[in-house]
Amino acid sequence: MSTLARGVSMRGVRKRYGDTIALNGLDLDAAPGEILGVAGPNGAGKSTMVKILAGEVARDEGEISVDGRPWSDEYGSNRVAVVHQEPQLFPNLTVAENILAGYEETRWQWPKLGDDHHRLFAELGIEQYRHRVLGELGLAVQQRTEITRALARDARVMLFDEPNSALTPDESAEFFRLIRMLADSGRVVMLISHRLTELAASSDRVAIILDGRCVRVLEGADRTPENIAELLVRGLGSAAAGEASATPRRASGEGDGLELVGLTDPRQAFRPLDCAFPRGSVTALIGVEGSGAREIVRACGGLRRARGRILIDGREVGPGQLPDHVSYVAADRASSLFSNLTVGENLVIRLDREIVRGSFVLRPRKMRSIAERLRTDFQVKSAGIDVGIRSLSGGNQQKVAIAAAVGRKPEVLVLEEPTRGVDISSKAEIYEILRAFAADGGTVLLFCTEVPEVYEVADRLHVVSDGRLSPALEVGEFADMEALAKGVAALETHGAAA
Amino acid sequence: MTNIAQTIAAVFAPARERGNRLGLAWTTIARLGGVTLAVLIVGVFFEIRTHGQLLITDNVLTILRGLSTTAIMGFGLTLVIIAAEIDLSFASVYGLSTNIVAVLWLTHGFPIYAAILIALVAAILVGLFNAFFTAVVKIPSFIATLGSSTLVFGLTLWIGQTQNLSYQYPPTGHTVPHGQVTFFKNLGSAALPGKFPEQGIWALALLVVFTFLLTRTLFGFRLKAIGGSRAAAEVVRLPVKKYTFLAFVICACMACVAGLLDFSFVGTAGPNDGSVYLFPVFAAVIIGGASLAGGKGSALGTMMGALLLAVLANGVALIAAGPFASQLLLGTVTVGAVVIDRLTSRQRSLS
Repeated sequence: MSTLARGVSMRGVRKRYGDTIALNGLDLDAAPGEILGVAGPNGAGKSTMVKILAGEVARDEGEISVDGRPWSDEYGSNRVAVVHQEPQLFPNLTVAENILAGYEETRWQWPKLGDDHHRLFAELGIEQYRHRVLGELGLAVQQRTEITRALARDARVMLFDEPNSALTPDESAEFFRLIRMLADSGRVVMLISHRLTELAASSDRVAIILDGRCVRVLEGADRTPENIAELLVRGLGSAAAGEASATPRRASGEGDGLELVGLTDPRQAFRPLDCAFPRGSVTALIGVEGSGAREIVRACGGLRRARGRILIDGREVGPGQLPDHVSYVAADRASSLFSNLTVGENLVIRLDREIVRGSFVLRPRKMRSIAERLRTDFQVKSAGIDVGIRSLSGGNQQKVAIAAAVGRKPEVLVLEEPTRGVDISSKAEIYEILRAFAADGGTVLLFCTEVPEVYEVADRLHVVSDGRLSPALEVGEFADMEALAKGVAALETHGAAA
Repeated sequence: MTNIAQTIAAVFAPARERGNRLGLAWTTIARLGGVTLAVLIVGVFFEIRTHGQLLITDNVLTILRGLSTTAIMGFGLTLVIIAAEIDLSFASVYGLSTNIVAVLWLTHGFPIYAAILIALVAAILVGLFNAFFTAVVKIPSFIATLGSSTLVFGLTLWIGQTQNLSYQYPPTGHTVPHGQVTFFKNLGSAALPGKFPEQGIWALALLVVFTFLLTRTLFGFRLKAIGGSRAAAEVVRLPVKKYTFLAFVICACMACVAGLLDFSFVGTAGPNDGSVYLFPVFAAVIIGGASLAGGKGSALGTMMGALLLAVLANGVALIAAGPFASQLLLGTVTVGAVVIDRLTSRQRSLS
């Protein structure tokens, strides 16, 4: 086993959660003084790697060493620090108290800041905030507090998990200067990000992680956003490509569908929108976290208050009537399913008139027959409709969530990341369901984070970056998934530059 | 904990395979949870200790009357708890109702019908108050109803002037029409064949109503979903606010009903009416299988919880064990029944 004298070295690290293999023999080295970028699609194992290094979860197999010493719980968790997308700190304490909590170094006195702390505050430019309550400060300061907290205990390895997704461009630029400074001070810096352009620009090397392994490390002139995108897609392509090429593409534009006229977000997650998602087709919005794509989709689903007009099949629909026309399925199943109800109850929970006699008396037999029909139509694999929803696999739970949404017979179906955490065979079935809904004259709008998903299910897509929608791309016009990925990467880059 | 659950599962699993009858018995017990088991254990214990005094007809009827007040308020509280909220104010609403009726009817000469109507409106207002601060202002219901409980109690003391009023012996200088006295007396303590307690009939009738409400109406179906996951209920667009309002209002109304029935039976209304019921009603609902996390509970379970407490109180009185014994037993049984329920529900989810 070769270990670097200094820095982080991982060899053959494996981790499985139940049936899911999160890490499948990961080999990765990071040297002091460098910024190592890490890219990979959702579910590739990046977060698991971060959690293992930080000591939040235990690995099943494999060797990890930090600065030449084998990683152990105590040693590792002191040496390695993670800066999360959402800072994990105490919002009710002041900045100074946040730095001290857990490292008070007193037996019973109220802990005090030392000289080192003041020096760090000055270096990170948060001296003036030290007695302010953290929860009242902006995200950038909170993030710096988390970094200071790590530096105060002399962490040698700093992991940044999607650190700038919610920062403003100015704050981002400042942030990248800061992590370069950290690397220059001889620390190992690992940067995990979905934003390929920034990743390429700010790291020295970029590791591509796919299906729980590191498949390639790009260095020097090779680390361009296009190359990264291509590698990400190629790795996923093998699993999905066969299916995708078989799906015929329709030229979209059957007219009407979901139209947004001057849709404005009061919190400005996206710029004012005028666009249309035509009936009879599946439209995907693709964008990284913080790009505004998720917020646009939520506004269309009526979950986020927005100003402006929404038209469905040519008729204007007020916010109150939106639920009668649009069914929305959230990304996490905890927000679309009821864990205390059975499969059958979950399938009919969105219905009202259909399952009620008079105005409020339930019709149990009708409920059962509707639930049975939906279960069959949507190929939900479960031991009947009377079992608890939690006894189903993730993929089948998701099918129940979508079936319940479609069962309400909406004109528009809005879904966030419809196949997150879903196995491959259920994925294909879910795509089929969505395409069938569109073929029946419905409108489908998706929020996706990954190109392969868009390639498989969507007829057209918009790239969202910086709160702006790109012109529509017809998926059928791209020769293969790689071409599409390049197109998307180009638009994302272009958007960021604009 | 898991080991105990597995042991219990192992003990009972063969029974389910042994034959239909045993299997059916087990399924029934499992569905109702620990409470049925606890009622049986406590019932058998006292039946033996009292040499058969517990189950003679007269005493069974006494138990039925004893459980009815707890059960009626428990039904209302069950709705609130299924919706994953808490109501601490029902005991105060009980006292508010008896005092409003007593003062308006006995000292101000209102007709009894008007007095009852006003008490009901007052209860509805308290329910609306609770629901408004919970569902609209979004204060935790624990805090909102803790506040309203104290507020209502203060109101009760003001209205009743901390007096005890009896409709059998109206305050000097006031007369009450005989017809109205008969009407009110017949509400909760009419003479029925076999000395059957009328309050028991109210409790059984409301058991049917609430079972229907919870298992056969859109309201019951969605309330369970709302209590199970507030986040999903918002996404799926269930009428969370409306149903929270309904649950709190119904809960307050049940407290009013229970208070007036007790007033009718006991004959007097006083400043501390209702306060003793806060704990037993909560205990009955929780023992009956409702989960404080929401999304789970039944009217029958609550009824069984109330039965358990009534049998316990009655048994302790019969063996004259002293007041400390009933409290010790009540505490033990509350924790015990919930633990058994936890174990049987694990068994249920394994199957």
